[in-house]
Amino acid sequence: MIVIGEKINGTRKGVAQAIQDRDAAFVRELAIRQFENGAAYLDLNAGTLPRSEPDDMVWLVEIVQEAVPEATLCLDSANPRALRAGIEKAVKTPMVNSLSGEQFRIDGVLPLACEFQSELIVLPLDDNGIPRTSDGRLNIVSRLVAMTRERGLPDNKLFIDPLVMAISTGTENGNITLETTRKIREEFPQVHLTCGLSNISFGMPLRSILNQAFLALLIAAGMDSALINAEERELRGIMMAAETLLGKDRHCMNFNRAFRAGKIGPQQVS
Amino acid sequence: MQDLVDAIADMMEDDALALTRKYLDQGVPPLKVLDAYKEALGIVGKRFEAGSYFVPELILAGEMMKTASDLIKSQIGSQEQEGGAKKKGKLLLGTVEGDIHDIGKDMVHMLMDINGFEVRDLGVDVPVQRFCDEYKAFEPDIVGLSGLLTLSFESMKQVVDALKEAGMRDKVKVIIGGGQVDEHACTYVEADAWMTDAVAGVKYALEWVESREKGRVP
Repeated sequence: MIVIGEKINGTRKGVAQAIQDRDAAFVRELAIRQFENGAAYLDLNAGTLPRSEPDDMVWLVEIVQEAVPEATLCLDSANPRALRAGIEKAVKTPMVNSLSGEQFRIDGVLPLACEFQSELIVLPLDDNGIPRTSDGRLNIVSRLVAMTRERGLPDNKLFIDPLVMAISTGTENGNITLETTRKIREEFPQVHLTCGLSNISFGMPLRSILNQAFLALLIAAGMDSALINAEERELRGIMMAAETLLGKDRHCMNFNRAFRAGKIGPQQVS
Repeated sequence: MQDLVDAIADMMEDDALALTRKYLDQGVPPLKVLDAYKEALGIVGKRFEAGSYFVPELILAGEMMKTASDLIKSQIGSQEQEGGAKKKGKLLLGTVEGDIHDIGKDMVHMLMDINGFEVRDLGVDVPVQRFCDEYKAFEPDIVGLSGLLTLSFESMKQVVDALKEAGMRDKVKVIIGGGQVDEHACTYVEADAWMTDAVAGVKYALEWVESREKGRVP
């Protein structure tokens, strides 16, 4: 599983404050902790005002890539200026989060991703909102993949997000996402599939249990990446178990290695 | 009708509907039956605040209320039902520009509607200008601004600024709501109140209109 660490997000108060205060230690620690817990990609969202977002994004890129040079950055922004500034500051070509069917993203994000041949998260929503059916989402995906192919961006650079909506507001929301995942996997075998997992449990009790169950179901449906809290030990365990059970872990080596290294399972008292 | 109140509050859909039909057939005045629903919803709200009920329970409670309302309307005609139910106040509601989160806002819409408010819901990602235009047309008592992302605070502030510029600020209560709002956001936006959940927001709105009716304007 390609894990994208979700924590460095300026649309949340704590991080917003750190960005405003230029609290490098705070951000550095968040980056290191996520990476050490298996997040190969780190989402960076400068989430603040349009005027300062480019500078804030550049600052985040600087701090994080210095703290964890082996991680790949994932620049989370709808602002093309912030994206370009971040891409140009980054040592390794970062992933771009995200393209959608919204016109302003097609105009602003698509050309950037193609110019830099970056990995690209793709959202099946457009100016009419979020389709409530898997076919509706697949339509948007097909349109967007046609555009990326036309511009020479290979399918395997795409990380398509089938969109996760809260189960608390719609009994079928889990199924719609799972169906969309399966359909995308079937139609576009070379693409990656990712998602914002914890949306599923919003407004519910026992969120971590719901997240874990949904992750296993998603992996079975073809998901090979997720935007999560990499530090959630139990979630990691379920994630690895699901992969092992689905034949993606020859001789169960990944799972058992992770167990021996104390990365999954009950925490050892040291 | 304690059994009805309990059935609703305990999320027993079928029992609640059966008891509702029973009481209506017995000739209990429809408004009294709706009062039982309101009492039950008050209990649901308390359980939500106490952390044993969550979003699904609020949604189901709203659906049960709607089913009962529809049943009553079909039995006695809407005139007789609306006749006794004067609107307590008007609420203009929306998630501000740049934000599309709507679960909390939809909860507020439903609860305020049930509690006798006339609600105009502008949806999500609502531009400042639209809030102003709709304000002038609708003349609400309360403006509810919803947003989850921190960038929504800026949009909220712009709405309040626009109301001030148009000389309309003093005539209305502005409540901001969302998972991350707090004292600082409220001060920055210059709102009258801030809420982090729908149930608390509705309580505040009700208390405010009730005290205003009694002549005590806070």
